[in-house]
Amino acid sequence: MKSRLLSVGFMFLLTLCFTAMVSAVKVANQDRIQRNQELKLERIILKVLRFGTGRVSDRELSELFKTRIRKKEVEGRTLYLGLEADGRTLKGIAFPVGGPGFWGPIQGMVGLDREGLTVVGLAFYSHSETPGLGGRLTEDWFQNQFAGLKLPAGKEAGPIFELIPSGRTKKPGQLDAITGATMTSKAVERFLNRELAFFRDKLRPQAGEG
Amino acid sequence: MAKTPSHREIFISGLWRDNPVLRQVLGICSTLAATNLMVNTLVMNAGLIFSLCMSSLTVSLLRNVTPMRTRMMVQVLIIASYVIMVDIAIKAYLPEISEALGPYVGLIITNCIIMGRCEAFARNNPPLASLVDGLAVGLGYALVLIAIALIREPLGFGTLLGFKVMPPGFTPWTIMVMAPGAFFALGALTWLIRSLFPQTTGLAEGGR
Repeated sequence: MKSRLLSVGFMFLLTLCFTAMVSAVKVANQDRIQRNQELKLERIILKVLRFGTGRVSDRELSELFKTRIRKKEVEGRTLYLGLEADGRTLKGIAFPVGGPGFWGPIQGMVGLDREGLTVVGLAFYSHSETPGLGGRLTEDWFQNQFAGLKLPAGKEAGPIFELIPSGRTKKPGQLDAITGATMTSKAVERFLNRELAFFRDKLRPQAGEG
Repeated sequence: MAKTPSHREIFISGLWRDNPVLRQVLGICSTLAATNLMVNTLVMNAGLIFSLCMSSLTVSLLRNVTPMRTRMMVQVLIIASYVIMVDIAIKAYLPEISEALGPYVGLIITNCIIMGRCEAFARNNPPLASLVDGLAVGLGYALVLIAIALIREPLGFGTLLGFKVMPPGFTPWTIMVMAPGAFFALGALTWLIRSLFPQTTGLAEGGR
């Protein structure tokens, strides 16, 4: 009986020690981890709005974000309004997009020009697609081809863009799919068309106001 | 318990003669998961070596006061604490690699190598010997992961540590990026090493 109590006591003390150690490490690094996540988002937003953030340090990046980006809530979604150097004129609008991929959710950010008519940049920043196949959706050749995509006013029938096998002749609105990743391509096509249409019909009319 | 072997013997045994991956076939899950890019492999190795050394050392220091019936709980608690600390540190200082490794850093907790060394060695041996054992086994694991990453990254991406190493026009072997590629690489490597250096001492083959 006594040895049992001893075991419980020993376990209790040891757990206390180690929990305290882990908590201390956690508390010491919490701010840094959170800051990393914010920085990642800030970098993506500035990137899709073409702020030229190729080799900018973290400090400069968050300074740029603070002075040139304004947040705005519309229809329960967050829009990021990018401003020109004067701090007043609108440069572009960014908004987060996301949807189911093949293996898990895909999250990204779309940047549009100041009228919200043309896509200027797009970046995916979170996904669990197969590395080397669907995972290539974060590669520049795939993301950059969305720049220039038009979102004309009015509810037209049909999708805003299509992904078709690379090597075929392209009409406007037709982009290269990822070879060997048909399911990921289809998934991106599905949710991104829906998100872009949602922006065009619901968010854009209210984006410029205020 | 037999007398504690010399540090040199412990080192050679952990690193090579009883290599955890090639000889004992332990820690295979992370060997398959974290070897498609060399950078990830190196961080994973550092995380494992740190967790293994610290766990072995701590288990060994507490070996005379730990009540027998709680030893598994104690080991899991110790291992989990160190691994969570490693995970937090990687998240804070190497956020991009942390994302690439996903859950695998946290899963070091369940890596059979660490639990195996604590249970088989550290709880019966003095602290310094346990530390050497942890280091040797950790390096043995790291060596195999690096060897596999050396096969997978050039063939799967055409790069090594992000630099292009394959000739232009090389078509990456997509399968090398995925888990099956790791199976092939690990299988081939194990076969090669075991054929070239047949086991002469230690445990008999089979039965594991």
